[in-house]
Parts: sequence; structure tokens; C-alpha cells
Amino acid sequence: MGSTMVWVSSRWKIALMLAPALVLFTAFFVYPVGYAIAYSFTDSAGFGAAKFVGLDNYVALKDDPFFWQSLRNTVVILVVSLVILVPASFALALLLRRRIKGGGGLRALVFGPAIIAPILVGLIWVFILDPKIGLLNRFLEPLGIGPIQWIGGDTLTPYSVSLVFIWSSIGFAMTIFYAGLQLLPGDVMEASQLDGASPWQQLRYVTIPMMQETFAIVAVLMITNVFKIFELVYMLTGGGPVHRSETLVSYMYFVTFTNQRYGSGMAIAVVIFVLGALTSLAYLAMARRRSLA
Amino acid sequence: MTQTTTDTDTTDDVTTHPATSRRRTGPTTSRRPRKKGLIAAGIAAYLVTFLIVLPILWIALLSFQPSDTILSDPFSVKTLTFENYRNAIAALPLVQMYKNTIIVAVISVSVGAVVSFMASYALTRMVFRRRRAQSSVRFYLLAGLAVPVYVLLFPIYRLDLALGIFGTYAALILPYIAVSIPFNTLLLTGFLRDFPAELEEAAIMDGAGLFRICWSVVLPTMRPVLATILIFNVVYVFNEFPFVSILINDPDLATVSLAVSKFQGQYTVDYGGMMAAATLVLLPQLAIYAFFQRHVIAGLTAGAVKG
Amino acid sequence: MFGRNFGSRRRRRLVGAVLTVTSLVALAACSSASDSESKDGKTTITLSMQNPDVKTADPATWAIVQAFEKANPDIHVEVSGQAVAEHLQSLSIAAQSDTLPDVFWVYKATAEEMLDAGKLMDLKPTLDDLGITEHLPESTVSNFTADDKIYGVPYQGLLTGLWINKKILADNGLQPPTTFDDLVNVAKTLDSKDIVTISDGANQSSFSVWSFLVWLDRFGFEEKIDGILDGSEKYDNPAFVRMYEHIAELRDAGAFASNVSTQTYQQAVDQFLNGKAAMLDSGVWASSAIQDSSVAADTVFWNGATFDDGVGEQDIVMNVASAPLVVDHRVADNDKKLAAVKKFLEFYYSDEAQQLLVDNGQPPVTDYEPEIDAAKQSALKSALDVAADPNLSSPRSQPDLLVSTAVSSAMYDSIYGVIQKQLSPEEAVDLVQKALDAE
Repeated sequence: MGSTMVWVSSRWKIALMLAPALVLFTAFFVYPVGYAIAYSFTDSAGFGAAKFVGLDNYVALKDDPFFWQSLRNTVVILVVSLVILVPASFALALLLRRRIKGGGGLRALVFGPAIIAPILVGLIWVFILDPKIGLLNRFLEPLGIGPIQWIGGDTLTPYSVSLVFIWSSIGFAMTIFYAGLQLLPGDVMEASQLDGASPWQQLRYVTIPMMQETFAIVAVLMITNVFKIFELVYMLTGGGPVHRSETLVSYMYFVTFTNQRYGSGMAIAVVIFVLGALTSLAYLAMARRRSLA
Repeated sequence: MTQTTTDTDTTDDVTTHPATSRRRTGPTTSRRPRKKGLIAAGIAAYLVTFLIVLPILWIALLSFQPSDTILSDPFSVKTLTFENYRNAIAALPLVQMYKNTIIVAVISVSVGAVVSFMASYALTRMVFRRRRAQSSVRFYLLAGLAVPVYVLLFPIYRLDLALGIFGTYAALILPYIAVSIPFNTLLLTGFLRDFPAELEEAAIMDGAGLFRICWSVVLPTMRPVLATILIFNVVYVFNEFPFVSILINDPDLATVSLAVSKFQGQYTVDYGGMMAAATLVLLPQLAIYAFFQRHVIAGLTAGAVKG
Repeated sequence: MFGRNFGSRRRRRLVGAVLTVTSLVALAACSSASDSESKDGKTTITLSMQNPDVKTADPATWAIVQAFEKANPDIHVEVSGQAVAEHLQSLSIAAQSDTLPDVFWVYKATAEEMLDAGKLMDLKPTLDDLGITEHLPESTVSNFTADDKIYGVPYQGLLTGLWINKKILADNGLQPPTTFDDLVNVAKTLDSKDIVTISDGANQSSFSVWSFLVWLDRFGFEEKIDGILDGSEKYDNPAFVRMYEHIAELRDAGAFASNVSTQTYQQAVDQFLNGKAAMLDSGVWASSAIQDSSVAADTVFWNGATFDDGVGEQDIVMNVASAPLVVDHRVADNDKKLAAVKKFLEFYYSDEAQQLLVDNGQPPVTDYEPEIDAAKQSALKSALDVAADPNLSSPRSQPDLLVSTAVSSAMYDSIYGVIQKQLSPEEAVDLVQKALDAE
């Protein structure tokens, strides 16, 4: 950023550029979040008089086994998704960037799952993962692999949810990486080629370091999206059996709307928000340290 | 500055200019494996794509099955029928729904993109007196990414009522713009940071003002990113459910994302109708993506740099 | 310098344009918003239901509205609906802002909270005035009464139990069961032949445990509930533990589908309709679907197993009012609307409308004696015959309707928890007890 930019950076110009976004964002995001925080300290049922209960809703979460279960599930999904999704979608972007016949069509198809509403993604995968009527177990049956409880059992559901999340997000992440690759300055790439760098070296020492921000974008989006997973779980298992496969948001939805305990639900929402923001920041800090090292 | 080369990089050279590339890449030994590599890549790409698309094909197939056997016997392909589509088309005012969705999408996506672009430009390129203020504002906007949408429903409903826009398109448009801001800002500020500012500095030296820098220098180079943002935002509007189910009471204003829920009764769920409605909502979006990605991402980046 | 000025002017214009577009949209949209008060001199009342497509999913209500509008050409009933989850969500948001629809379906527990918050109209004077009260079962009226106010009227009947496919039983040499031991034997025999005995589905429908809620009443729920609510008795008591042990016994006998936790209630119904399960845990509302299926001729209604270690009356059938229809409190302030709503209620509980309920596969909710075509409505007839059996009495209400929503979801979880082998009987009662303690 050269000093020449100062010429076009008068205070009112900056204000003008920022104002529309800030006004809309504050009205439709910050005000509601403040509202939620305020309600998380009450026993509100959503309507009627609400009583101030201090930190009770937060303290109650401590002893709520379903809350901890949903937190554990969310963490499992987060780890599995990040470890697989980020490298896989980057590799896919590299792959689809090569001049393959019909590459444009392939990109559109790979993006396909990202277009499907999450609620339908869940529905589609019920027909694949269901232990009894699902496609997957039908395929495994002739191989002598007994019916596996991909969803609805004791343990596998969070992993299955991760799989579905990866499926529904890979085209999305790939598209961002693809756009990032498009932005790489061509002369640098050419120069590295002229220097006789192998494709692998080029990738390792030129492409990836130049795409730090793109990686950060994808990671932050995926982290925050994992913390928002709801419809997938809702369709696959409804959070069951007995809340065993609940994620943070699906449990929050259950508490807020099914049980109509708005105050407690908002307390969970605040926790989700804080965790999502902190995890993203932690990732960014880590990435920065790594790139400096 | 040759943006074009990003499209015709590395392996592409082999196919397009075999003579020059051989010289450029040096040792001839690397040529053959590369061509082989391209074929392998092609096969891999088709295979991966097929795996990713498989579940969608499955749903498309299911949408032709009679509603009452979908669940009990999803593998039977003996009796395929258009009945689900007939029901879906009869039950849904699809034309009206598409019209509403397009109105909402066009306005919210374009305003959202402009507003976010302005903010992102200021947050990455313009010089603040206090640098810390700049990164604080950026984090302020990005924090929105971590907010689960269900937190927003109650307050935005009240806000819509207070603004007197409840029961209008604006009741949806304004929250959609707001929701797009954190996402757009993340992408735009990120890519702007990765992208060197030399061109803009040169333009300033030539006496260009802020608007001209944005319009004729930054926008053209950011086109792939903007195209990506537009696609994501449009997809969001097509699929967004929580807001529309709360903020739209009037069936005349319903968007396509409500189509699928139309088949979920208290004690009855018409899965066939859901699948058919899903397919009907999905297809136009795929077309939009195909259009954008061919004409915008590929075409315009090349054109912009040549021109 | 020129560039700078040029730029900023354009910039301002652009911002101006954006703002103009935004405000124009808002204005244009505002003016298009319809004023639902009166269209061509008609009075409009809004009716908000728990099905997105009322016409196909709830034909009884649709038929009543059509007949009502025909009989009252000066009144327009604007029917809208959403899936249960979104419907309830919209209602609580609307209640908060005092923008509820005129007449709507809502769960009893939520209705009582709305009444507490002053959101609902007291229907007592209206119902007495129209002479409706005396035609409703006493238990229904008392169910929907709080603080001496009647806040709701029965929407449809909640006549629940198990639908039995006699043919599947006969094909396997089995008699229709009457006691719990019979039922366990049926389950064991059918399980050995890989047939599901009781079709249930927990995914997004944890409430679909109707036949087990009747069990609670066969273990003394009616007598205990008041004590449980005021804390003098516990849900965690030996009788209830015994009941949950019986669920576990049935589960171990192989009564349930292996994918009970991932299938939805709708899938459970389809399983039964396609002849793949011997019994369906459901209620009278399924009669139309059964009638339209290939199992119609073989299907009979059963009020459920009796227990020799049960508590209190075993010969019972769950035949109570389902969730109520309630009226927004603002209707009372609008004479025209109030008159229209009164007319609507009067019509809904008329013999004509009650017969429409029956014609669409629902039991009447008043004391009206309906006409039934025994051949074309064999399933419904079988259920109504059981309900009318003089040897059977009905509990006052379904257990889950007597507690808060949080406790009722804990009850559903506790039952499905045992069915899915996630909870032991002790853990199951404990789960509900904890929810009660949290109140």
C-alpha cells in the first residue's frame, strides 16, 4: 500500500465508503446480537414478561449433558471437516484449473452440492446413509459388511455429518480457491517456471505462499459454517437418538423453539458466537505465525 | 501485467504452444510425463466430479418415483412417473415464486455487493489516520460470520415491523443485504490484500479519482472474485429458509426456498413432491452457475487484461 | 486534481443512486402490501394452521372453511399454514410483537403461556352464548380452561392407539393381542421372521409415541400428575419405572424397526401402509391414508395392551381433544372481526361441520352422532367403534398435554430413549424428573 493512496483517503471519503455497510450491518446484525445477549440473562419464553435471572442460563449449561454432547459433536465435525476439506478443495481447484476438456462443466457440477439447500442435502443423504433403506449399506451388503449405523447410532453420526458437510461445501471452497488462483499474477508464475521449478516446487514455494489470504478465507468460512450446521443434522437424525447427534445450533434450536425456552436458547447462541469467533481468530493467529516463521 | 496467463498456465502451454513451451520448460524429459499427467488429471477430474454428482443424480432419480414407495423401496426403478412433478407444479405457484426470488435476489445481491465492495476497498486500500481503527472495523464486520441466523429472527422481525416494511420485499431484502456483508467483506478484503496495489498507484499518479480507480482499475481485476460473490449470494437467496419462513406471511411474496417445505404437513410428508420441487429449484441455479462461471470468470478476466 | 473531483462527484452520485433504489424498493413494496381488513366489503379473518398446504394435508379443515364461506358470503377466511416447527416459531415471534393471526392452531402448553401473557381472547362468554359448551365433552372444556377463562376450542379429535394389520398376524399364526404378554409374544414371533411389529419413527417426530403415552395412563399417570406438578410426587416412581421396563422388554423382543432413530413418522406410516409392519403407532388421523392403501381391508384399530402389573383402570382408550384452536385477543376489540369469528366458531361446531370432519376421516369433537359409510370408511369406523365402546373409558387428557413443552419433549425423549436402547428405564424417568425439577 503506497503512500499515494493518501491522496484519495480523506476522512469523509472513508466515511462515505464505509457508511452503508456499517449502517446495515449494525441494524441487522449488531442490534439483534445485543438483543440476544440481553435475553440470555432472562427466563423469557419468547413472549410475555421476562424475568432477569442473571447468569442462571449459562450456569445451567454447565450441568446440561446434552449441551456438552452437542459441543463435542461440533468439535468432531470441525476437526474432521477442516483436516479433509481445506486440502481436498484446494487440490480440486488445482485439478480443475488444468485445461481439461469440459472443465467448465465439471466446475459447475462440482459446485452443484453447494447450490442445494442444506435441508435437502440432509434429505438426500438420509437416502444414502440410513442403515436400513440407505444406498451405502446396500452396496456394502454384498461385500459381507453388516449393516453399519452411519446415522442414528451411538458414535458414527458426527463423522457422517462431517462427510455430508464436506460434500456440500467442497464445491464452495473449490470455487474460492479457483478464484484465488485466477488472481495470481501471471508474471510471477511464469518466472518460476522459467527458473525450472517443478510443478511441485512451484506449488510449494510460489502458489501456496501467495495464497495465504485465500486459505485464511476458506478456513474462516468453514470454521464459522461448521458452527452453524443445523439442517443437516435436523434432517439426518433430528438430533437423535435422544440428542446424541445434536450440534450446537440444532440443540439451540431445540431449546429455543421446541422447548420454548428463549432465554436458555439465546445463552447457547451467545456461546456459539463466542466459540466461532475465537476459533476463527485462533486459526488466523496460527496461520500468521506459521507464515512468519 | 498479464492476467491471461493464469488461465493458460503450466500444463496448458503444452497443449496450446507445444513448441515454445518445450523450450521454456527446459528438459524434454518433463514433456511426456506432463502430457500423461494431463490425461491422468482429466480422468481424476471426471471421476471426482462423478462421485460428487452421484447423490444429486440419486435425488433426481427418486423424484420420478411414486411418492408412496420412495421410502419403503427407494431402489425400485420399475415404476417411474411424472406424477411428483405434476403435483409440485400444481401445488406451487412457481412463476410467482421465481419472480419474487429474482426480484429479491437481484436487488439484495447487487446492493450487497456494491456496499461491501465500498467498505472492503476502504478497509484495505485507503489510509486511515489510525491503522488500528481500520482493522477494528474489519473485524467488526467479519464477526457477523460467527452469528447463527436463529439469533437474528426475533429482532429482525421487530425491526421490520418498526420500519413498516413487514409484508413487503424489503422485509427480506434488507436482512439479506446485511447477511451478505460479512461474507462479501471477508472475500473482498482477503483478495484485495493478496492483490498488489501497483496499478492503482499508477492510476493515482495519472490523476485518477477514487471512483475511477474503483471502477476502471480495481473492479476489472477483481471480476473473478465478484463473480464468485455474486454466485454465492444468489445461491444464498435461493436457499435461505429461516428468514423467509418468518418474515413472509403473504403467499404472493413467497420465494422458491419455501417450495420444498410446502410438502411437509403435521402428520404427512410428501417426499416425492419434495424431491420434485427440489429438482425444480436446483436446475435454474445450476444454469446460473454455469453461465456465470463461463462468461464471467473465464471470459471477463481474459478480456479485462487484454483491453 | 481533476480526477479527484470528478471521482468524488461520481461517487456521491453512485451512493445517491444506491440509496434511492433501496428506498424506492421499500416504498413500492409498501404500497403493494394489502390491507386485509375488508375486500369488497367482506370481512376477512385469518386462520393459521400447522400444515403448509392445508388443502391436501388437512382436508377436513379445508372443507369446513369452504362450506363456511359458502354459507357466509360476506366473510372471507384467509387460510395460511406452515410446517409445525416454523408455525410455532412464527407464532411465538408474532406473539412477542402482538401480531398474531385471528384464529390459529397451537399446542396447549404454548396457548396457556400466551393466555398468561394476555395474548388470547377468553372464549367462555361466546361459547356459552352460542350454546357450544354443552355439546363439548366436559373434559375438553376443562382442559382448555385456565383462570376461569376458556382460551381454546377443540380442533380435531385425538383418538390414538395402534392400527393392526390382521392379515400379517394371521399369516404368522397369531391372534390380535390384548395383554402386554400377548404383544411380546407377537413381537418375538414376527421378529424371527424379520417383520417389524410396531412401526415408529423418531427422526424429527419424537412426539410419535402415542400408544406409549396411553401406557403412562395405565400406570397411574392421571392420579399422579397433579402431585408430580406440585412436587409432592415424583415422575421417578416405581410404577413408571416398571412401565419403561416393559418398553425395554418389547424392544428386546424385536418389536421395532432397526432404523427407528433415523426414520421419520411418515416413513413409519409408509412402512405400515406397504404391509411391512404389523402395527402402526398412530391415531385416527391416519385413517384416510390407510383407507387409500392396500392394507385397508385388513386394518383394525386397537386401544393398546393391558398390564397385569399396571396401576388403576386398564380398559381405557385415548379419546381426547387435540391441540386447540385459539383466538387472538385483539379480535375482541374489532366488532366486525368478532362477529365473523363467532360465526366461524358457531359453524365449526355445527352438525354440518362435524359431519364434514367425519367425511374427511376425523372423529367429531362434539356429541354429534355422525353418519359413516362402513364400507368406504372401514378404518375410521373401526376406530370410532372402539372409542364408543361402553366398556372403555378415556383419560381426561393425553399425558404430554398436561405438562410444559420442555417436560413433554423430555417425555418423548425418555420413551424413544428406551426404544433406541440409549437409556435404561431408570435413566429415562430421571430425564423427565430433571426436566420437571428445572421448572
